[in-house]
Amino acid sequence: MKKPASTRAAAAAAAILALAVTGCTGAAPDAAEKGSDGLRYLISQPERPSELDAIRSDLEEFEKESGIEVTLDVLPLENLRTVLQTQLRSGEGPDVFNYDTGPGFAGTLAEAGLLYDLTDAYQDNDWKIYDFARERVTFDGKISGVPTQLEEVGIFYNKDLFKKHGVQEPKNLSDLQKAAETFTAAGVTPFAVNDKEGWQGGHLFSMALSSRVGPDGMEKLLDGSMPWTSPEVVAALETWSGFAKDGHLPDSPNALTYDNGNALFYKGDAAMNPTGSWLISSLQETVDFEVGFLPFPAEDGPGIFTGGLGGGSFVSADTENPEGAVELLDYLQSEEHGRWQVETIGTIPAFPVDTEGLEVSPLFAQVIEDTAKIAEGSGEFGYNIDVLTTDTFNKTMWDGFQGILTGQKTAEAVAQDLQTASKQAAEDK
Amino acid sequence: MSTPISMTTPKVTRRAQTRLGIALISPLMLLVIVFFLFPLGNAIYYSFVDFDGIDPTPAFVGLQNYTRLLTDPEVWHALGNNAIWIVIGTAGPLLIGLAQALLLWKVRHAGVFYRLAFFLPYVLPQVAIGIVWGWIYDPVSGWVNKALQVVGLDSLATGWLGNPNTALYAVLATAIWATTGFVLIIFLSALRNVDGALMDASRLDGVNAVQQLVYIILPQIMPVFLMVTTVTLVGGFSVFDIIFIMTGGGPANATNVIGTYAYTNAFQLSQISYGTTLALLITALSVPFAVALNRLQRRLSLQGTGA
Repeated sequence: MKKPASTRAAAAAAAILALAVTGCTGAAPDAAEKGSDGLRYLISQPERPSELDAIRSDLEEFEKESGIEVTLDVLPLENLRTVLQTQLRSGEGPDVFNYDTGPGFAGTLAEAGLLYDLTDAYQDNDWKIYDFARERVTFDGKISGVPTQLEEVGIFYNKDLFKKHGVQEPKNLSDLQKAAETFTAAGVTPFAVNDKEGWQGGHLFSMALSSRVGPDGMEKLLDGSMPWTSPEVVAALETWSGFAKDGHLPDSPNALTYDNGNALFYKGDAAMNPTGSWLISSLQETVDFEVGFLPFPAEDGPGIFTGGLGGGSFVSADTENPEGAVELLDYLQSEEHGRWQVETIGTIPAFPVDTEGLEVSPLFAQVIEDTAKIAEGSGEFGYNIDVLTTDTFNKTMWDGFQGILTGQKTAEAVAQDLQTASKQAAEDK
Repeated sequence: MSTPISMTTPKVTRRAQTRLGIALISPLMLLVIVFFLFPLGNAIYYSFVDFDGIDPTPAFVGLQNYTRLLTDPEVWHALGNNAIWIVIGTAGPLLIGLAQALLLWKVRHAGVFYRLAFFLPYVLPQVAIGIVWGWIYDPVSGWVNKALQVVGLDSLATGWLGNPNTALYAVLATAIWATTGFVLIIFLSALRNVDGALMDASRLDGVNAVQQLVYIILPQIMPVFLMVTTVTLVGGFSVFDIIFIMTGGGPANATNVIGTYAYTNAFQLSQISYGTTLALLITALSVPFAVALNRLQRRLSLQGTGA
């Protein structure tokens, strides 16, 4: 009688393990086959459908020039991060893909041996990526990617709503708080804050902290010479928890996706949208009101933009067509392609491009001018934390910020968690 | 006194029977070894090393992953969510499925339509269910909040998946909706074997509906009831996909269960060994429940109780 029972127990154990294993791995893609002749290119869903059409047309040009067939895969950003990691680890990843730069994103993939070493490709093709940008994709001495865009993070605001409610552009943090109070009293949501995906919290925190401590302070925090438990860090977190408590954010911002948050701003239901310059092209196509872009204010002044590097293009270590992948990257970095990127996609390449004669909006022209200073190393800019820290730190920051918005965690507790994660990251190095 | 068969069977025949038995079970055993026992052994190995997904010779760390597991507060939080999921996620489909099955038991007209309608959610992919219900719960455009506004319950409207007080229960409600159809169909099949004469006799004796359920119907479908309980309960331990799709374990880990926490560690933070140790915890916790319920079901079957 014992034998069948134990057999069943073993079978049950195995079945449960199988459930656990299948639940924790995910499926390989079947949309496009990897091949030695063609390329599979994975990108995140662009903000606008027209942008995707433009990218497809651009790739057709590349196909004509190179004779290499490119299959374009598109995933929503919130799915891309997890799906890509699973695909790469199972050896079923795309040949080329767009991903975030910095140690917390591409650095994690490089550390796991999932990225193709592009050091030789840089030399062979004389790619002119800005030095600071190239450093952000260099891990253990190997250049693992090609940065594709520069960006700024700040606050977009609806100039018409500001005018209607008699609100001036905030010159300091106190002005911003007064503006928020005016809008809340008028039934307008002051900030279209959204944080369902979690990464937005990193940007919101980065902009408030950058303006509070300045570039030097950010550098000290990031290199560990200033603790994350500093009063300035706590104050930056408290700024947002205060906005949440005072009703200046949408109800349940943690339930709002990035797209839904933007929709609140597009519809005129929210007066300000704290996010990055990548949204400009969507704003131009979508809204019929005038939009301004300002840095998150400091206590005693207008504050500084959080600036730096956005995403980049990377090649899977398992690609069967590394030559084709490098050829695609080379195409994406041509002078002509850079001008196309500025004019058609509305993003700024991470290599020098002559923008003279290009037709861009005043809002985008402002960002081009600002980001040129980042590239030159002039001007004051804050740092976007998540592209400079580890995945463990980012997870702590994102979870902590969600906790700040819901009141689950205090600013002091989140600051302590960040300090612990920072110390852990330093020990792991 | 009868003579054992083995004593009367010729040795040659016994040997042939043994060979045939081995031949018959060997394909299954091969599958068990390759797909179950080998991965299990592999998982146990990885729980004793520090594997980051790349180093082919990871360092042996002994019980470090297990001690970390015991001292990690998020594990206990996630286990608490698993416990909530197991209790509500098991009881919900069982009670609702049983109630629906009893209502549909004697339905003659459009019975197939109802069965199909209720079973349909079960055959939908969990990912699709998660995405669609994510829209339904959307705080701005989701129909749950819109419906509440229409009936004047605006004060109850919230960001269901972003509010730490409601997120887990909102996902649970979706999971119950998706699982109930399966329970319903199984119970409906079991109810067909309930002794009709006994039901008629009980009615003549003046037994009410609740007494019929407790004293006649449930004892006769008990093994099936236990089988369904086992399946849903074990599913509660290993739950992953629907939570991962709808909340990713957030906001701020509010909906983390061991499955999502294991995934985060293994695949997002490259701590494969710790993630594997967490996955083994799921196995270790769910096996005793599965075996106990299985034994109970078997004992009831041997006693002749059941459908």
